[in-house]
Amino acid sequence: MSLEKATAIVLRVVHWSESSYVLTLFTRELGKISAVAKGARRPKGPFDAALDLLALCKVVFVRKTSGALDVLTEAKLVRCFRVRALGLGALNAGYYVAELLNELTDEYDPHPVLFDVAEAALLRLGGAAASAVATAAGAIAPAAEVLRFELLALRELGYLPTLEECVECGRPVAADGRVAFGLLSGGVLCRDCRPGKRQVVSLSRQSWQTLVAFARPDEAWRQTPLSREVRGEVRGAMGQFIAGIIGHEPQVAAYLER
Amino acid sequence: MASESVARLIEQLTKLPGIGKKSAERLAYHILRVHENEALGLADAIRDVKQNVCYCKTCFNLSEGETCAICGDATRDRQLLCVVEQPRDLIGLEETGAYKGLYHVLLGRIAPLEGIGPEQLTIDALVERVRAATVQGGGFREIIMATNPTVEGDGTALYISNLLADIPVQITRLARGITTGSVLEFANKEVLTDALSGRQKF
Repeated sequence: MSLEKATAIVLRVVHWSESSYVLTLFTRELGKISAVAKGARRPKGPFDAALDLLALCKVVFVRKTSGALDVLTEAKLVRCFRVRALGLGALNAGYYVAELLNELTDEYDPHPVLFDVAEAALLRLGGAAASAVATAAGAIAPAAEVLRFELLALRELGYLPTLEECVECGRPVAADGRVAFGLLSGGVLCRDCRPGKRQVVSLSRQSWQTLVAFARPDEAWRQTPLSREVRGEVRGAMGQFIAGIIGHEPQVAAYLER
Repeated sequence: MASESVARLIEQLTKLPGIGKKSAERLAYHILRVHENEALGLADAIRDVKQNVCYCKTCFNLSEGETCAICGDATRDRQLLCVVEQPRDLIGLEETGAYKGLYHVLLGRIAPLEGIGPEQLTIDALVERVRAATVQGGGFREIIMATNPTVEGDGTALYISNLLADIPVQITRLARGITTGSVLEFANKEVLTDALSGRQKF
């Protein structure tokens, strides 16, 4: 048993016994952990108001080596998620970020880059300044935040689909007409490789280009418009692709803006 | 080794929240030790509560009839409605003695990460109740969102306020910020932000 300190995002809070929580936290230093916070529901204690969903906090916990739950001994709130900042769309996007972090990562498998990406997304969706950002010109819609986060998370975890050339033969896909996106193949398919492939989604050229722009590490995605038609098509394709990785459709997917 | 009846009692007690096997055994042996009337009184109380208590058809508070005592109380302010997550929250607010309006119990909160959606709560009934009161002329002047001050509680309140946006009623939420008796020096900045944005006139 050792005492660990970490910066964490609260992914899941389950009530356990009269006054305690069992939490799933995504920490920058150690990856995902599950911990019990005894007495956390009491008004006074060492947990401040830090243990709410999507909150960013500094935690101290006792790491168990036997496979039992870790024990949280202290938590200090750094930033809470403000629900009313950008409305329900942003809240559901925040829930979705938490669900993906929980489903796509393993315990004690740290991904500091992914943590930073998630923290930045949650800040834009529910930080104290989010409402000010919302009224500013060029504010990023929750749907764009979700798509950007999905693609960066997939890139960081090694699941990013091949989007700029055919996943089978490596040749460029035709830029005219619709583009075949092979869910099982893990990327787009050229016309020669498409026949005979199962679970293929057909994307419009605009939707495909949107995926390409949002997946690039640079900031090109900020200049890429996300129309309602593109949003619906891209959401459907990404939803199916992620369901293939985690084995089921994410629960929050049904609440996301389409 | 315990008899079959005792083992069954222990097994049933273990199903209660916060009761492990050891506590269940202690309770079971306590029940065995006490007078028969006292033990059967407990059994009768459990039977009565399951047979007689239901949800009020108007506000979904716990009730022993179709309508709960609060909804049936003519002295309460019928233009003021307080929305809470659970009957336990209603009891807490009633104990303050500071609120004399009506309630609506949601029986939970929207929690997409746990698969709980608005259709599993009493939100439709709430909207219908507010709409019907408005149509009949005796509408509510204020609806207080007293859901828990958590992300899920706030999300539920926001969802409901969006649904009620087209009805002419003032929607408020409970104040939040610094706890009475605490000191500013040790309050975290998020709590101070809430306190500043929710400041009141002296």
